[in-house]
Amino acid sequence: MKTRFLFPYWCRYLGWALFLIHVPVVMLRKHLGFYAHSPGEGLLSSQHLFFMATTLLMAIGLFLVAFAKERIEDEQISQLRLDSLQWAIYLNYVLLIVSLIFSSDTQHILFLNLLVPLVFFIIRFQWKIFQNNRLLKKDGDLR
Amino acid sequence: MKNTIRVERAIKNITQAELAELIGVSRQTINTIESNRYVPSTVLALKIARVFNKPVEHIFTLEDTD
Repeated sequence: MKTRFLFPYWCRYLGWALFLIHVPVVMLRKHLGFYAHSPGEGLLSSQHLFFMATTLLMAIGLFLVAFAKERIEDEQISQLRLDSLQWAIYLNYVLLIVSLIFSSDTQHILFLNLLVPLVFFIIRFQWKIFQNNRLLKKDGDLR
Repeated sequence: MKNTIRVERAIKNITQAELAELIGVSRQTINTIESNRYVPSTVLALKIARVFNKPVEHIFTLEDTD
C-alpha cells in the first residue's frame, strides 16, 4: 500500500536522537548561562536564540518520531495512525480550551499546544502497536 | 463481520507469517483480522481470498450486528 507524507523508517532514530539531545541542554540551561526567555528582551537576543534552538530541536525530533514509517507500513498501521491522530487532536483542543479559560499565560499555552498533539500521538500510537505485538506473541504460535 | 481465515489457513497449512508475506502486510495485521479487531479493506480481503482460491463471501461473512 502506498503511503504519502511519511518519513523513512530511519528518521525515527534521528528524531529520538534530536529529542534526547534537547533534554540535557534544557536541563543545564542555567549552567550554560541562559535563563528563561521573556518577550521583553526582543528578537535574536541570546536567550531568544537558545529558546528557539532548543524548541526547534525538540519539535523537529518529535515530528520525525511521530511521522516516520513503521517497518511494515500497511493499512492496519495507517488506521492506527489516523485513530491516534484523532485522539491527539481531541485531547489537544480540550486542553487548549481549558487552559484558555483558566489561564492567561499564552506563552506556556502555546508551548503546551506545540507538545501535546505530538507527544500524545506518539504514546497512543506506540501503545497500540505494543498491544498488537503482545497479542500476537500470545496467540501467534497457534497455527 | 466474522471470518474463517484461521480455518482456511489450517486447511492450506500456512502460518500467519506466511499468509502475511503472501499478501504484503505485517503478521500483526493478519492477527488483528483473525481476532476481529480490524476489518480489512476490500483490496486486502480480495487478496486474502485469492491466496485461498475461494470467493470473498466464503471467507468474510456479515453478522447480524453489521
